[in-house]
Order: sequence, then C-alpha cells, then structure tokens
Amino acid sequence: MVAAARHPNIELLTYSEVEDVSGYVGNFEVTIRKKARKVDATKCRGCGVCWEKCPTKVDSEFEQGLAKRKAIYIPFAQAVPAIPVIDQEHCLYFTKGRCGVCQKVCPAKAIDYEQQDEIIKDKFGAIIVATGFELFNWREVYGEYGYGKYPDVIDSMQFERLNVSSGPTGGKILRPSDGREPKTVVFIKCVGSRDEAKGKSYCSRACCMYTAKHAHQVLEKIPGAQVIVFYMDIRTPGKAYEEFLERTIHEGAIYVRGRVSKVFPEGDKLIVKGEDTLLGRPVEVAADLVVVVPAMVPSRGWDKLAKMLGLQTDKDGFFQEAHPKLRPVETFTAGVFLAGACQGPKDIPDTVAQASAAAAKAILLLSKDEMATEPMVASVDQSVCAGCGLCVEVCPYKAISLTTIAERVGGREITRQVATVNTGLCQGCGSCAVTCPSSAMNLKGFTNEQILAEVDAICL
Amino acid sequence: MKRVGVFVCHCGSNIAGVVDVKKVAEAAKEFRDVVFATDYEYMCSDPGQELIRKAINEHQLNRVVVASCSPRLHEETFRRCCESAGLNPYLFEMANLREQVAWCHAKDKEAATAKAIELIRGAVAKVRRSAPLTPGVVPITKKALVIGGGIAGIQAALDIADAGYKVTLVEREPTIGGAMVKLDKTFPTLDCSA
Repeated sequence: MVAAARHPNIELLTYSEVEDVSGYVGNFEVTIRKKARKVDATKCRGCGVCWEKCPTKVDSEFEQGLAKRKAIYIPFAQAVPAIPVIDQEHCLYFTKGRCGVCQKVCPAKAIDYEQQDEIIKDKFGAIIVATGFELFNWREVYGEYGYGKYPDVIDSMQFERLNVSSGPTGGKILRPSDGREPKTVVFIKCVGSRDEAKGKSYCSRACCMYTAKHAHQVLEKIPGAQVIVFYMDIRTPGKAYEEFLERTIHEGAIYVRGRVSKVFPEGDKLIVKGEDTLLGRPVEVAADLVVVVPAMVPSRGWDKLAKMLGLQTDKDGFFQEAHPKLRPVETFTAGVFLAGACQGPKDIPDTVAQASAAAAKAILLLSKDEMATEPMVASVDQSVCAGCGLCVEVCPYKAISLTTIAERVGGREITRQVATVNTGLCQGCGSCAVTCPSSAMNLKGFTNEQILAEVDAICL
Repeated sequence: MKRVGVFVCHCGSNIAGVVDVKKVAEAAKEFRDVVFATDYEYMCSDPGQELIRKAINEHQLNRVVVASCSPRLHEETFRRCCESAGLNPYLFEMANLREQVAWCHAKDKEAATAKAIELIRGAVAKVRRSAPLTPGVVPITKKALVIGGGIAGIQAALDIADAGYKVTLVEREPTIGGAMVKLDKTFPTLDCSA
C-alpha cells in the first residue's frame, strides 16, 4: 500500500469514482469524481485530534460492524492516505447543522465543511479493472442460520477481524455477544456458494483454504478448543494447499461432510443441527461461535461500470474475459483488462498473478507510440444519406455525428446534413447499418451486399 | 476474376467425428468461383497454415474460406496466415463447423454434414464480395488507469509504474487496501497481509 502511495509514477485518487468513460483503446477519456472528504488533504497532518473529539459513533464498516468509528474517521490506523473523511450521513454538522467540534480542534485548520466534489478529466491509453468482490449477503436469505440476528453467528470476514492484532478484540477470538472465549467453534462452508436455490451456482474457490486457516487459528489461539467444519466437498488445489489442510486436520479440526439445516440459540449456546452424509446420520453440536462462510460476489456497482466500459458480464455479474483460456485478462473492449476477483472468485495468489498479467498487457500497449485500428468500421455513402440521424441515436459508442455538407444540385449550391463516422470511436458493431432506412450506412467487411449474398446462398 | 480456396478443418475429432469433412470439401468445389478445396486435421497448426499458404500461391487464390471453429478462436490466426502469403487479411472468411455444427448436432451426422456445406456456401458467397481493407493508425496516450485499489489494483499499478509509465489508481473508499488489508494471516504460508 505504502509502495503504491509513494511511487513517483502513481497518482492515488482515493474516495473517488469513475463517472464516465469515452474514447477508445489508446485514447480513453475518463471523468473521475473526487468526492469531498471535507478535509483539506494539503493541510491535514493526520494527527487524529478530530476523530478523538468527534462525539458521533457509527458502526465501523472496516471492522464489519464489530467496533465503532467516529463520524470523522480514517478506516483503520494504517490507512493510505492517513487523511480522515467526514461521513456526511452521520456527522452532526451535516445532519443537524450543529457541533463543528472537529473544525474547532483541528490544529492545522484542515476541516473544510464547504469543500466540494472535484471533477477530474484525464486521458488514458489503457484501463485495468480491479474492482474486486464482496461477500454474498447471506443475512437476507439464510433464515435457517438466523438471518444474522444471532450475535454469535458471524461471517468469515468478521472472524478475520477477530484475529487481527489491531482489530476490535486485539486479535483474541471472542464472542461478540458476551466477550467470552468460545470453546466450540463451528464453520459452515458454502453459504451461498454451490447453492442454486438460495445463492450462486459456482464454487467461490478461496473459502476451503481460508476456512482451514481459520480452523487452524482457533486451535492455535484457544487451548482445548474444538473446531467442527461442515463442508460439501473440500477443494484445495494449489501449491502447498492440500498440505495446509492436512496440517489443520492433524491439529484436530473435525471435518463433517454435510450441510447444516438449522442453527438456533439455547441458553448461551448455539445448537447446530446437520447431517453427516458419510455416516448417514444426523449430527447436533452445541457451539459457542458459528462462522458462516459466504460466497464471493462482484463488488456493488459492477453493472454501472460494465455499461460505462462496454464490458460483458456472466450471469452473476463477474466481468467476462475475452477468452477463458487464451485471453484471460483481456476484455472485448480493446485496451481494457481485468485483474482479480472482479473476473471471478479467486484467492490472493491467483489475484496477484492475474494483476501482473493485466499489467503486462497494459505495458505492452503503452510501450507503442501508435497502434493499428480495426478497419471493419462503419462508413457512410453521403450521396444516399438523408441526414435523418437515426444512426446517431443508436450508436452505443458515440461515434456518429451529423455534419453539414455543401453540394451543387442543378447549378445551385445547397447545404444538407449527413452522418459522419469517427473511425477511432467506431467498434464495428453494425447497429447503425441495420438502422439506416436508406442503406447509406455500411459496415466494412460486413456490407449489406455481403450479408444479403450470404443469406441468399444459404436460403435460396 | 475471383479465385476462392476452401479449407475444411477436422479439429481432430471435434468436427470430423460428426461432419463428413471429405464430402464437405468435395461439395465446396462446386460453388461459384471456388478453384480449390481440401481438408486437413488441424488447419490452425503450422503444417495446416503452410497448406493454406501453399495453396494461395499455387492456385493464385485471392479469396480464402476456412471452415473450422468459431472466429473468436482463430480468425486472427488465419488472417495473419493469409497476410503472410501476400493476401489482404480481410479477403478471408470463416465458417464455423465446430460450435455451430459438430458440437450442437452431434447426434445427426447427415444433417450436420448438410448444414456444414450450407454454411460454407454462405461464406463463399460473402467472401466473393469482400474488398481489401487497411487498418487505421491512432496515437497512444502513455498512461494507465487502474480502477480499484485492492491487492489486484495495487499490484497492477506498481507493475505498470515500475515499467516507467504513469498510472492513476482510483479507489472509491477513503483508503486503498481493499479486502486483503482486512485479513490477518494468509494461507498457505501464514504471512501477514499488510
């Protein structure tokens, strides 16, 4: 993180979103909204007085709701950049027009309630999409696990936070309900993965391994702890992965093949009912802590970005690569590459490998001064074009516009409107050609004459 | 004078296991302006491409149809092959006998063969009306945009930046780091994720 922030060739735009992309490979024109932090980054020294004094407490997104943060905050101590942001939905100044404590206490006079969003426009030769994943919202559909209303039924990302030394419990695995150390911990895998009825049909790939890690962490941190992992299948292909799983099993983790049908509280325990499908009999465990392992789904906003960049997605919203084997990081939009879990669920080693692959493709592009463009683009026969403008409306790439031409008709000079194609922007989709009522628009390589001849040859 | 060559690919048994490729190549010889037609096990392989190049020269072909897989897979391969034999790469057409014939009509070999012949008939009719095309040239802005500041975005940004190009890394959250920065140790080596 720090290496990226300090690199002289990297400009970091955090708390910013891409709003619009136009142009084409080698020449993308991008509009980025840099949202107002309400803190002047040039003045802020990251001293932290503002968030210490802020009176408003909100559930911390970073801590997965296991801890509180203030309305002016940095997500975590090592955040990059270490500049706070005001959460305007909760800040008293923005919701009720009072307070203003942070501005009063800031020694650098960096708090700027009037700061506005900044619109940045820039040109880029290549774009890498690395928008990642989020966890499937199991709380909405898994009633059998309590819809998230039992405090000691948590998900794997919350469990991660319990393990981090800088996390809400200082790295101790403690129950959210009463802060006690759990002695029996149950993991339920494939919550939303491989479950077409309630979740997704795919396997999320990383969960078998990180659950093995979680099981190991329980056994390492809590002497005498019992760990039970309910699984459908254990999938650990990868270098040193199977060995890691074996090690966890040897440490004492109990793997039970079967799905959990119900979790419910009884006293201060959680009763986990399931089936051991290998033994063919029901299982019941009285657990202190239950960790559900949700599917990976594309990060929210994937649909908007797909539209902006002209990317195809699969049925679940993961961005589609140009070829599953031979062009795994390219997309159908030339110059746009994919890295990480936005293309499909994957673990860290695969993500890093794909990111470097995407970078190599981008570098390959940027290393050239100019590039050849696809000649299969639309072209207008201006002598036939009536200037109706239907093609302008249907063009998804904003590649067609109307211009005025002058010509001599019967000895008189007249002007009229005709369509013209920007061949740099045109992607050769052919929408204009099929829309044109006067057949003035043709797609080179797929002319009306060619297509009709092909159809006639097959049908006549 | 149009001189079309038709090259029918077996794709191992992918196509030839369903479609009677010999019969298809024979039928193609009868189409208008087709002066040469043949079949081969793997048209995309080096010997396959060499076969196409040789035929272009020997038979003075000025249009080429390869009947094989989806253009998504090998259109570029065969365009380059034509170009290396001195033919404009856009005077080439593909007929998809794998995805559109063999794989979806595997149970009816006779009908599959008939459909293969029809698809080639269409491709020949189209390629007869093809015109040579020339690619345009555009300049390249030597700067990359990375959308997303998790481990994937950071890694990609660092690689591009280390190669000497400017990178803008956009992250919608107040900090970079994404999901990985929330993690404790990472498998299988249990090193920290910071």
